Order: sequence, then C-alpha cells, then structure tokens
Amino acid sequence: MTAAPPASPVLAIENYSLDYTLRQGTARVLDGVNLSIGKGEVVGLVGESGSGKSSLAWAIMRHLPRNAVEASGRLSLGRLDLRGLDAKGLQAVRGKRIGMVFQDPSTALNPTLRLGEQVIEVLMRHRGLGRAEARDAAEAALAEVELRDPAALMRRYPHEASGGEKQRVVIATAFATAPELILFDEPTTALDVITGARILELFARLRERTGVAALYISHDLGLVSRVADRVSVLRQGRIVEEGAPEAVFLDPRHDYTRRLVAAVPRPHRRLVDDAAGGDTVLAADGLSVRYGRRRLFRPPPPPATKAVSLEVRAGEILGVVGESGSGKSSLARGLTGLAEFDGGIHATGRRLDHARKMDKAYRRAVQIVFQHPDSSLNPRMRIGDILARPLKLYGGALSDIPALLEQVRLPADYARKYPHQLSGGEKQRVAIARAFAARPSLVICDEITAALDVSVQAQVIEWLLALRRQHGTAYLFITHDLNLIRQIAHRIAVMQQGELVDLRDAAAIDAPDAHPYTRALIAASPAPVG
Amino acid sequence: MTDLLRRLLRTPQGAIGSALLVLLALLCLLGPELAPRDPEAIDFLGRFRPPGAQNWLGADQLGRDVLSRLMTGARSTIPLALLATLLGTLAGAVIGTLSAYLGGRWDEAIMRNVDAVMAIPGLLLALLLVSSLGKGSLNATLAIAIAFTPGMARVTRSVALNVRAQDYVKAALARGEHASFIVLREMLPNVVGPVVVETTIRVAFAVMLFATLSFLGLGAQPPAPEWGLMVAEARRFVHQAPWIILAPALAIGVTAIAFNLLGDGLRDALNPRDER
Repeated sequence: MTAAPPASPVLAIENYSLDYTLRQGTARVLDGVNLSIGKGEVVGLVGESGSGKSSLAWAIMRHLPRNAVEASGRLSLGRLDLRGLDAKGLQAVRGKRIGMVFQDPSTALNPTLRLGEQVIEVLMRHRGLGRAEARDAAEAALAEVELRDPAALMRRYPHEASGGEKQRVVIATAFATAPELILFDEPTTALDVITGARILELFARLRERTGVAALYISHDLGLVSRVADRVSVLRQGRIVEEGAPEAVFLDPRHDYTRRLVAAVPRPHRRLVDDAAGGDTVLAADGLSVRYGRRRLFRPPPPPATKAVSLEVRAGEILGVVGESGSGKSSLARGLTGLAEFDGGIHATGRRLDHARKMDKAYRRAVQIVFQHPDSSLNPRMRIGDILARPLKLYGGALSDIPALLEQVRLPADYARKYPHQLSGGEKQRVAIARAFAARPSLVICDEITAALDVSVQAQVIEWLLALRRQHGTAYLFITHDLNLIRQIAHRIAVMQQGELVDLRDAAAIDAPDAHPYTRALIAASPAPVG
Repeated sequence: MTDLLRRLLRTPQGAIGSALLVLLALLCLLGPELAPRDPEAIDFLGRFRPPGAQNWLGADQLGRDVLSRLMTGARSTIPLALLATLLGTLAGAVIGTLSAYLGGRWDEAIMRNVDAVMAIPGLLLALLLVSSLGKGSLNATLAIAIAFTPGMARVTRSVALNVRAQDYVKAALARGEHASFIVLREMLPNVVGPVVVETTIRVAFAVMLFATLSFLGLGAQPPAPEWGLMVAEARRFVHQAPWIILAPALAIGVTAIAFNLLGDGLRDALNPRDER
C-alpha cells in the first residue's frame, strides 16, 4: 500500500493551526497541519501526550474549549466546510456524518440509561426512525459488532456490561448511522490486552464490510502500524513524518520518529544479559489478599489473590503479567503491607504472617514505586523533603539528596521544586529515587511505565537497569505489557483471576508447554512490525 | 511565608479582603484610643440623636455615641470570634483527617459520635456548655469552638477521604511512617484548601453566636460595647432610630465579607499548582 491519496478526500485538513490563549500568553497546539483521508482509508495519527492529537480530533468534531483560537487553515468534510458550520449544521454532522469512539467506554456511556436506549436515541435522531424501527435497527447494529444476545444486552445498564462489551456498544453506535468518517481516540488503551486485540480484529472486519474512512489516534506506533493504511507522526503540533506504516516503521526519516521507533519494546531484543543471584530476597508462601470486612450473614468476599507462592532472588527481575483484575496489584499491596493477607512472607531472615509484623528492616528492604507519579508524590512537599523521608526513617544523611537525584539524572536544584513543576517522567524518576534512598534489596514496580509515553518509558527502563547494575537490586516488575517484560525479566509470572497460572523463564515464555492463558496473552500482543 | 502573602495580594479578592482585615485589626488595636467619645458616657439630652456633627453615627437609647461604641467594641468582638473559630477548626480538622486515615470501624465510631453531637443545634450546645462552665467571654469562646468542631470534622473528613486514597499516603504507609506523621504532614496540608474556606465562613457565624450568647446574658455583659450585644439591645428601637442597629449590623457584615474574601484569596494562594 503506497501513499497515494484518492482524488476526492473524505476529510481534508489544510494548513490548520490552532492556539490556546492562556494567562501567560498564547500556546500553539497545532501548527500548519495537513492531512487528508480518502474514501475507505484509515489514517493513523501517532503522537505522545501533549502533541495535540486530541485537539485535532476535537477540532474536527467542532468541540473546542472557549480559549481556543483557530489561527488559519481549512477543515472540510467532502465539499462541506466544517469551520463555517452553525449550531444546526453541526448537529447534522456530528454523530451522523462523523462518528467518534472514545478512549474510555465507561465514561463515554451514560451510566443512568440502558445500553439499548443510548443506541436507539442516536438512530431516532440521525436516521429519523420511529421507536420500533430504531429498536430493530439497534439490535441489528449490536449484532453487527458481534455481541452475543444483543436483545438482552440492550436491557442492561453500562455497569452491568464488561469494558469490551461497552466499547463494542460505542462502536456500534458510531457505525449505526453509516457515517463517512469515524474518529477513534485511543479506543483500546483503557481495555485489557486480549479484549483490545479483539476490538482491533472487529474494527478490521467492520472496515472491510462498510468501507468507512477513519482517523485512528494513538500513542502506540506499533499498534497504529497494524491498523492504518497511512501513518502521520505528530510532534508538538506539527506533522513531522507521514507515509505507509512499513516505511515509517522500518525506515524512519525524521529524528523524532527514529527515537519513537527505537523506544517501542521488542520482545526478542534483550536488555538484560546477566543471570540472577542465588540467594532468595523474598518469598511469598501461599499469599492471599482479601478486601472488605467479614460481615454478619454475608459470605466473605472472594480473595483478590489466591494463595500465590513465588520467590525473588537477589538481583533478579521477576515480571508479573496479567489483565486488570487479575490480582497483580493486590499482590504488590500484600507484599508491602498495604492490604491484609493470609499466608506468609519470608524475607530478611524471618517469616511474616501479618502486616503488623513488618518491621523497619523489612520496610527498608522492600520498596514500592506506584503507577501514577502524579499521585505518588505529595503535592505540598518539595522534592527535597520527599527524598528526605526515607533517609530519616532508615538512616542516611540529608547530604545524600543531590546524589540521589544524580542517580536518576536530575539536577540537584530540583530538590527545591514542587512535584507539579516536573513532567510525568521526571516525577516518576523522583519516585524511583525515593525508593532507592532506602537502599532496598527489592523494589516492587507496579505498572510504573503505564502512564508514561513510549520514549519516556524506554528511558525509565534504561535507568532502572543502570540502578540495578550499580546496586544489585531485585525488581518485582508488574505490567500488562508482555513485549516490554520479555525484554528485561529473568522469569515471568502470569496471573489470571487471582491465581498464579504460569511461572517460567522469560526465554521459555512462548514454549509450547506454556499455560493456554499465557499463549493467549502472547497472541494478543504481537511483536511490532520489523 | 512572604511568598504566600505575595500570591495572596495578587488576587483581587485576597487584596480587598486583606485590606479590610488590616483596617479591622487596626480598629482592634487602636479603636479605644481613637474613639472620639467615651463609649459608656450617658447623655440623656442626646437620646436617639440622628447621625450628624455631634455624633457621626448617631446616638443610642441612652445617648451613647454609636461610633465610639463600635470602635471600642471591635476589640471584644473580632479576636474572640476568630479564636473560637480557629480552635474549632483545628480540632475538627484533626479529628476529620484522623477518622479518614483510620477508616473502617474507627471511622464509623468517630463519625457516628460526631453525628450525635451535630444533632444538637450549635446554639443549644453552646448554651449548655456556657451554663455548665459559667458565664463570661472566654467560656463562650470555648463553647463556640466545641460547637463548631463536629461540622468541621465532617467537612474535613470528606476531603481527607480522597487524599487517603492517593498513592503518596500509600507510599508513606509502605515506608512504615508513624500515623501522626501521615495525618499531620502528608494528609492535613492537602485538605487545607476547603477547610480554610469553611473557616472563614464560620467566623461570621461565630460573631453572630457570640451576639446571641451576649443577648441571652451568657457572653459579654452590658454595658460592654460588643457588636452583637449592640444589635440585640437596639432591636427594640429599630423603627425609632434605625441607625443604632444598622451600624453594628453593617460592621458584622463587613467583617464577615472580609473573612470570606480572604478565604477565597487564600484558597488560590495556598494551591502551589496555581502558577500566577
């Protein structure tokens, strides 16, 4: 597939620039963007956070914030000029000629309306159907997105459906009015790996059947290169590179694209080549974590993790993978005493059978880094004070703070800053520095790169590995990204519904004797092109 | 601290509120010295004299100069109301944050007790406390502080529950921090915003509660020129000489507005995220 846009594009964006007026002045969000989508074409738009990709989507939908100023350019849908539309014209376009699928299906659906109502309403409004006709059409639309028993699903409320089902309903709604163009804004990011893979398959089939044009927005270059006919790379509001996905991925011309491509995790490119030590740092012995109190006359809630046993050796990187709700974060909370647990933990030469028995030596030896750096640093404390706490608790001189910052490549004067003055990646580095201030023997990393951009993720991983070489620290690395963990882990544990279903060497994770669920996970996260 | 002041004065609400409060503070400090007349001097010939050259804000039912009484009374009104509110806020904030931190059964126990105390109207509770502690301004202050505590505890807890779920609190727990550190250093600074706003609104209530207690003869005693007491005494003459009641009522209103504006300004200034 070579990039030759057809003669009459469905959507044409010409030299479009957008500014936001802020208190400090104006900020340019989009700068001279040119993009066209032909009939039946899928164009991928790749960019990291802050690149302006969502702003572009909202500009097409004509739903910009009050402080947005459109500096120049044209947006046209077929022959219609989108910028010149009034409120009435917009209503005729939104939902009817342009559909949109959002990132998080749980917030895109109204929680107080039945799923069926939400589809019927769109059909009545945009296709002018009567109620009974709309009901039949809605059922057909839901069948179209391969939902089992659509009639029963239509009677359910959003909270009674799974994330994948909800996203299918949103997609069905978008397709039901037979629009010319559909905007997909990270439609699989909020879903599990396997569910996301199924949504992508569904999208491919629907596309073939309906021939709709689509703009597919994502931060994941690997994912976009699988679904799109053409890819545009957006950086700070400017399109820096565009072309066929293979060309962009295999032979990137722009520096930024090259960095993006290099940062995409590839399972077969190992980043760690030494072996783990022999001693056990920590061993979980039938650890089960349970939330909620036992109440009278009610059965106790099922445990979040069921009797998990595993051990981490000195300097080892043990990956823990699984879908959301598989109990991997609960395992981390049990090991750090944040949740009550049954069973035992062997560490620092003792056996602990209750969170209360965790003493200073254990707390020092086992540190945790959380997923969201925004919430794991106290917004009212300076970086210096944040780093000083573990030094005060476990012994250490406050004069070590510059050295701690230096370890994660941050300048010493960051100690005087507040967390909100730092970028997401910098905050996560502070959180890592805080964990290392305790000179731990095991650091639990709970999805620490999930909230970061790919290029930042690659750097954070690099620094983590450098810290490990320097201190010989072991990591319990919890993630949903199988490609990433296969690059760095010595062994990988797979969890499903609270149970540890597989635990094997990273090299043997795709062996034929692996658990069926492990194989399903691998199949759902294919290696990127190239 | 100077940084906070600078940020406070940069917002219009903060600047106006601060200016008004500086005026009120000067009134508290220098009021009696600056007052044109003796606030308790009775002048039977000048009863109900309307505002004019002799009495700028008029004279009351005993011919006392309203302006002088107002200026002298600031000292016995504002500091005590402020003290009562601050005591109540502090106690309530600590209880609320602690309750949110402990969670589970402790939370349940603390909040149900708070509910029980809240079920008694604030005035009734204050009356009960004053009558058992004895009359007087200081006891009234204490009573109002205690009456304010449960409400503040509720407000603080609802904010603190959100803070409790943040990862930095979990990080502190996993680090093995002491409960007092988590409550006082990790959580309390993050609930300050709404609590400050609530506090400034309550200062106005405190002034009114003081007035009521004084009116019932349990707080300030006549002929003290306390503002609330002045309103209460002037109530009977509202048709005859409205200026007697208007002046102290306006003073109370201005005080309330000043604290509210300060609260709005502080809320913005206390937020380090706000880069203005």
